[in-house]
Amino acid sequence: MLILTRRPGERVVIGDEIFVTVMSVSGHTVRLGIAAPAGVPIYREEIWLAVKEENRAAAAATADALPSTPPTADAAHSGRSQAPASEAPASETPASEAPAERPASEAPAER
Amino acid sequence: MPISFQSIRFGTVEIRPEDVIEFPFGLIGLGGLRYALIDRNPGTGFLWLHEIDNPALALPVVSPVRFFPDFVLEIAPEDQERTGLHDLTGAQLYVTVRATPDPLDITVNLRAPLVIRDGRGYQVINTREDAPLQAPLFTLAAQSQIAS
Repeated sequence: MLILTRRPGERVVIGDEIFVTVMSVSGHTVRLGIAAPAGVPIYREEIWLAVKEENRAAAAATADALPSTPPTADAAHSGRSQAPASEAPASETPASEAPAERPASEAPAER
Repeated sequence: MPISFQSIRFGTVEIRPEDVIEFPFGLIGLGGLRYALIDRNPGTGFLWLHEIDNPALALPVVSPVRFFPDFVLEIAPEDQERTGLHDLTGAQLYVTVRATPDPLDITVNLRAPLVIRDGRGYQVINTREDAPLQAPLFTLAAQSQIAS
């Protein structure tokens, strides 16, 4: 691992297009500014690790791992019994209209 | 002309060319660039998001809207830029399913949903603070039914 010492306001350049700026240092907290091409995903490590773990756990499912007749919400509430598949039929392409998304202007600048 | 691909779970799978979903950035930690949604559990709401070029890579998914009426997805501006998902008009939302022997222990990841639109798919981080990585699928659905 390459280890560099930087002061607030100084940068590290990765390749020709990724700039990491030390914005400020306060006690044990370092604020970083990262400028990268739009096609480069940037994650906090703990989020990346956690999502990766969930994805791997999901991908470990075998073909028969899913319930063929999942309990309805009522059955889930009343007891651990299998309920008949009386839900609305699933569609190959459910029309899951997305709920309103917060406008970009209100979204936090920091992830 | 249907496309067929191999699956270690389901054998030979046939899909229509328009069912191919390109994931330019893959799934987080798993990769994969071309997936398709296949329905091997009709009537349950579970679908499989199957990588077309990797017979072993497939994840069960469900529509979060179906089980979590209050589900909201918020995407950070940088991710909106990267994915073009400035709004979610016409997009389909899915969440990955962690399958368990007891259906009531099944959880889904509301923190990193899959957004699919116009043949392209992205796994994005939901910046909503109350979006859990492991949301119980059925018990939460029951609670929200009672609450409403």
